[in-house]
Parts: sequence; structure tokens; C-alpha cells
Amino acid sequence: MSAPSSATVFVVDDYAPGRRSITRLLRTAGFVVAAFASAQDFLAQYDPGVRGCLVLDLAMPTVSGLELQSILGERGSLLPIIFLTGTGDIPKSVQAMKQGASDFLTKPVNDEDLLAAVRVAIEKNRALHWEQAELSEIRTRLATLTPREREVLEYVVAGKLNKQIADELGTVEQTVKVHRAHVMQKMRVHSVAELVRLTQRCGIGGAVY
Amino acid sequence: MSWVTALWSMNAAACLTLAGFYLAVWCKQRQSPMYLVFSCSAIAAAAISAFELWMVNSRTVDQYEQLARWVHVPTWALTLSFVAFVRLYLHAGRLWLAWSIYGLRTLVLILNFIFPISINFSAITDIRQFSWGGQMVSVPVGDPNPWGLLSTISLFLLLIFSVDAAITVWRRGDRQRALLVGGSMIFGAILAWNVPLVIWGVIDVPFFLGFAYTGIVATMGYELSNDLARVAGLVRELEISEKRLNLAADSANLGMWEWDIVRDEIWMTDKGRALFGFDPPEKVDFDRFRNRLYLEDRESVNSAVEKSLRTGAEYESEYRVVLPDGQIRWIAGRGQVEFNRGGRPVRMRGASLDITTRKQAEEQATRHRNEMAHLSRVTTLGELSGSLAHELNLPLGAILSNAQAAQRILANGDADLAEVREILNDIVSEDKRAAEVIRRLRLWLKKGEVQQHSLNINKVVQDVLKLIRTDLNGQNVTVTTELSQNLPTVNGDSVQLQQVLVNLVVNACDAMANCNAPERWLLIRTGIESSSRAVIVSVTDRGSSIPEKKMEEIFEPFFTTKEKGMGLGLSVCRTIIAAHRGKLWATNNADRGATLHFTLPATASDKESVTTNNKMGQ
Repeated sequence: MSAPSSATVFVVDDYAPGRRSITRLLRTAGFVVAAFASAQDFLAQYDPGVRGCLVLDLAMPTVSGLELQSILGERGSLLPIIFLTGTGDIPKSVQAMKQGASDFLTKPVNDEDLLAAVRVAIEKNRALHWEQAELSEIRTRLATLTPREREVLEYVVAGKLNKQIADELGTVEQTVKVHRAHVMQKMRVHSVAELVRLTQRCGIGGAVY
Repeated sequence: MSWVTALWSMNAAACLTLAGFYLAVWCKQRQSPMYLVFSCSAIAAAAISAFELWMVNSRTVDQYEQLARWVHVPTWALTLSFVAFVRLYLHAGRLWLAWSIYGLRTLVLILNFIFPISINFSAITDIRQFSWGGQMVSVPVGDPNPWGLLSTISLFLLLIFSVDAAITVWRRGDRQRALLVGGSMIFGAILAWNVPLVIWGVIDVPFFLGFAYTGIVATMGYELSNDLARVAGLVRELEISEKRLNLAADSANLGMWEWDIVRDEIWMTDKGRALFGFDPPEKVDFDRFRNRLYLEDRESVNSAVEKSLRTGAEYESEYRVVLPDGQIRWIAGRGQVEFNRGGRPVRMRGASLDITTRKQAEEQATRHRNEMAHLSRVTTLGELSGSLAHELNLPLGAILSNAQAAQRILANGDADLAEVREILNDIVSEDKRAAEVIRRLRLWLKKGEVQQHSLNINKVVQDVLKLIRTDLNGQNVTVTTELSQNLPTVNGDSVQLQQVLVNLVVNACDAMANCNAPERWLLIRTGIESSSRAVIVSVTDRGSSIPEKKMEEIFEPFFTTKEKGMGLGLSVCRTIIAAHRGKLWATNNADRGATLHFTLPATASDKESVTTNNKMGQ
């Protein structure tokens, strides 16, 4: 079994024997593990660009698991969080899931469950990173458009014909056609459908009108 | 017979009769030496009368000389017994005067036998006879001995002694006795001047000192007879009061007893015998009494008896007896020890009371209290169940993950032995941890007899914090402890005391549920309450205060401010603390929140050990 070499599983648990056992289990399964005794320790070395996931104990003194989750959320972290709890506290698990937890496991946790959850989380993290990369690519392309081209793009995505766009902009259809070709070229798409998909990812189109 | 002979003889006979009577009294009451002293003086007075009669009737100088010498023996005896009587009976008279009289009178007696004739005469030349009251009487004619002055001085001292004693008795308020005894002795001492006056030839009368002495003896006798009459009256009153006492004792179910320690005999009233199941004729000694006791109570009764025999303190003990028919009865015994002059215990008197009904009621109350406490523990445990599950799941989780990691290591085929060893070590210690949690849980849930042990209250506090740590974490409550070191131990049941603390802490957390998380702060403090030498524990929160009028109400059953819970917590806590002979109360803090305090008396042996240590240090 192989794990993605670039991903790290971060384990944060104040209970030392528990932390050690989870670390061992994950290492024997081939993951790269970094363990911390408290949320503060983890935050001290936190790098937003890091790949992997977080295995987090729910009940910790001073800064609890839920609080760390909020802090990471505010910082726009992409690390999916798997919560571990000894109590199976329902209100807290609901809150954790609402805050976007990847999974919620009760101790004692079976190895297959934990490993599966970690794999899913790492996959999720990878997807998130890919998505983010794609998004920034689209934004970069959008940034190359002139204001006029940007206007044309929005009308195109909204489903207007060239003639309608020309009327709206107070110009001739021929000019709109040129702008439209520039947009397709700069956004590196070959069809209007493709363009709609890209712009929708950035929240452009549809809702404008 | 002449009337002089008759009068003097009757006088002597009267004195002898009195002497005989009081000698008989003394034989029965040897502890009262004044009866003996009185008899001695009466015999001496009779002897003096006899001597005087002989002197009056003596016809030769030689015979008179002998009589004049020997009459000093009864006079010496009489003086000595008078002084002794005053000291013993009236508790008056100066000691130095008494010893001076004794010395002087004895010196007179010795000198009397050293001089050729007597201390009164250096020579008796003739017997002068004259008619006195129609009868011929003899008086001596001769040269007075100047040493006779010593005899006169002793008489003078006796006079001073009597006056002083009479004044003392008078001042004491016993005026009648002062007048009677003191007055008569003064009167007698004055009359005694008859002797030197006759010797010096100043007056022409026979010696009649015997009558003076008889007067004193009669007065003394009268006083003593008053005492005898009083004693008789006392005996009658004693009988009545004993009857009353018996009646009271019987109706109160009291059994009275008296233990003659020297002979090891125990006397008991019929009620007392019935209490212990002894038949009326059965002889009872300490061993028989001891054999009646319930086996487990023998030691405590023994030590209670020994303690009062050693220190003289009141004997007090509660114990069970097993009657011959197997029935068990609770008895409360109380008694006092009597010591002889040498300080050895000779007798112990006391009473025993059947307290079976009271004890049964107490036992039932204790049982109810413990059941209540148990129920409350179960309820509390329900509230803490999440916390307890966590306490168990932590080690179980670590064990499972460790074991599964080991399985994977082995399956991978590249087993790192050092790693496997570490894993196994962790598994072992985590297993023990889980077992410890279960042990605590079992203790907590155990129903049954309360175990009283000598405990360190700080240990109880620490155990409680272990038990509810997770719960406190979960509620974001920070706990600070200020545990005073070198606290004396307390006697108690650790589970019940833990229960009290858990309740107080859980209540404090609930009171802070509406505070902001950083303000949820709890202080547990232990210390010594100096006034009563008790250990005090207080739990302080920063939640809402308790309204002043509810300060006591919160300890009542079914008082609650929570949606869940039956409101039994604090009322059960109070009964537990009361059963530990302590107090539980609440106060509001000056700034915010409330503090609940409870005290527990320090173990007695601890106090003793402190004092012994001090003694050893000195």
C-alpha cells in the first residue's frame, strides 16, 4: 500500500498514550505523521500550503478541537479534519460536521475506519488544492481581458446573441464578433458551454441579471 | 456510807458508763476515732474521781503520797484526750498549742515520778482532817514543790487552747457547739484551779476536779449523742432516697451495679441482672460480665474500663450483650471509680441502660442514609456518564490502536522489536489505567456497609478531580486547588466524601454554565479550622450568587434549579457530612459567586499523637 508522499497526517491530541498509538498506526500504514500535544503547538508551525489532513481530539484543555477547527476555518485552511472523541457527544459532533469536518470517529477507533477516513480526507485535500489551482488559473485568464471584452463575456455567458449584445453596447455586430473571438482565445476555450463552466466556477454569470 | 463517798462513786460510775457505751460504738465504727478518744477521757475522768475519793478517805501520809503521785497518770490521759477530741471532733484548736500541751503535760508526768513525792509537793508532813459537809475529809499538809508551776502552766495553756478553739467554732457559725463544748472546757479549766489552791492551802475543800471533768465529759457525750441521733436520721433518709432511686431506676429501665474491684464481685439490682440475663442467685464477677459481651465489643469495653481505672475519668461505653437465649441487646453503661488513699481503684459504681430501641432506630436511619447516598451516587454517575465513558475510552482506544499497529508491523514482515516492545508497554500501562477507572467506578457504585477509615482529605480531592476531569474540560472549567499540607487525618468513608465533593463541584460548574468560558474558574481549598480543630474544605465558584433567603433552602430535599436532576444532591451531602460529625454550609463571595464549605473533625488519635510528639520533644 502506498500513500501520497507529499501528504502529511497531523495528529493533535493532549492524551500522550492515545497520540502515540494513533501515530504508530498511521505510520505503519505508510503515512507521514506529525503529532502535537496541543492546538497551540500545531498552530505554531502551521503552514497553509501544506498537503494532508488533521486528526483532532475533540476534548482538549485550553483550546478545544472545535475551537481549533474554527481558527483554521478563519485562516482559510484546506486541511480536512477528522475528529476523534471518547464521549460521542452528539451536539458537539453536529457542530463539528456543520463546521465542515471531514469525519467524526469515536474512540476506540478501528484501524480500517481511521485509515479509510484519513485516505478520504487526503483525497479531499488533494481535490481542494487542485480546485484552488484551477480557480486561480481561471482568474489569471480573466485578468487578461479588457473591460470591453469582460462586458462581452458576461453577455455571452448570460446567453445573449451577438446582435443583442451589439444593441446593448451600442455598437455593430461585427465588433462584438471580434471581441468574442478574443475572449474565447484568452480564456482558452473552444465553446460557449466551456466558457460558461469556467466562469461559473468564479461566480460570474447567471446571477448578474 | 457517807454522802461524799456516794457522790464521788456515782460520778466515777457515770463516767465509766459513758466510756463503756462509746467504746462499744467505736468498736462498730472504727473509722471514727473520736469515739475512742471520748471513751479514754471518760475513763480518765472516772479514775480521777476514784483517786480523789481515796485521797479524801486516806488516813496516813504514806498512803496520801502514793495517791498524789499516781493521780497524775489519769490527769495526763484526760488532758491528752481532751485536746485530741477538740482537734478531731471540732476541727479546731491550734496545732502548736496542742503539741505544747502534750509536751508540757508529759514532762510534768515524767518529773512527777522523778521527784521523791510528786510534782505538787516536795514533802507531805501531815494529813489534816476536817469536817466538810458533815463528813471527815483529809487534805494534805506539806511544802508545795515549785515545779508544780509547770502543771499550772499546762492548765493555763489548755485554757487558751479551749478559748481559741471555741472562738474558731463560733466564727464558723456553729455557735451552739462552740458554747457547749468550748464553754464547758473553759469552765472545767477554771475549776481545775481548785488543785493548786488546795495545795497552797488557800481554800479548805477536798479535791473535786473529777466533777469538773465529768461536766466536760457529759457535754462531749451529749454532743456525740446528737451526732448519733443525726446518723440515725440520715440512715432513715438514705433508706427513703434509696427506695426513690430504685423506683426511678426501675421505671427508667436502669440497672444499677457496683463492682468491688479488690474482691472482684459485682453486685447488681434485679433490673441490672435482668438486663444482662443473670439469674438472681448467680455470682457475678468481671469475667462473667465480660463473657456476656458481644465478641467484637469486648475490646472497647475493656479499654473504656481500664481508662477510667487508670485516670479516674467517668466510665462510659456502649456495647452489645448476648443473652443466654441468644438475643442481642444494646446497653449504655456509665460509672465512676472510687480510689483508696493509696490511689488504688477499689470500687466502681454505675448504671446500665437498655438502648436497643434507640440503636435499632439509629441503625435504620444509617441504612436509609446510605441507601439515599447510593441512589444519589447512581444519579450523579448518570450525569457524569459521558465523562466516565471518556475516561474508559481513552485507554481502550490507545490499546486498540497500539495492538492494530503491532498487527500491521508483524504483517509487513519487517518487525522492529524495539517498536513492538514500546507498543506492548503502552498496552500494559493503558490496560491498568482502564482497570483503575473500573475499580473507581465499582467503588462508587458499591452499595453496602460504609467503611470508616482514617483519610487524608487532600487525597479525596485529588481522586475527585481524576473522576470528573473530563467533565470539567468539556465545560471549559479551570480548576485551581489550594491544598494545605500536613493536615490531620479525618475519619470517614472515602466514597461518600468523594460524592459530596463531586456534588459540590458539579453544582459549581452548573452555576457557571452561563459565564463566558474564560471566567469559568473553580477553587478547591483545604485547611484547618483553628477554633474547632476540624479540617475544612471549600469549593468556590464565580457563577451566580445564592439569594440570601435561599441559603438554607438549597439544602432541603427536592430543591433544584436545574431542569434535570432530582434536587437531592445537596440534601444528601448534608446528611453525609452530618453523619461524619461535620457541618456543610454556603456563603456568597464578596465579588461574585458562592462558596460551599464543609468541616470534618480531625481524627482523635491524631490529636493525641500531636500531644505525645510535643511531650517527646520537650
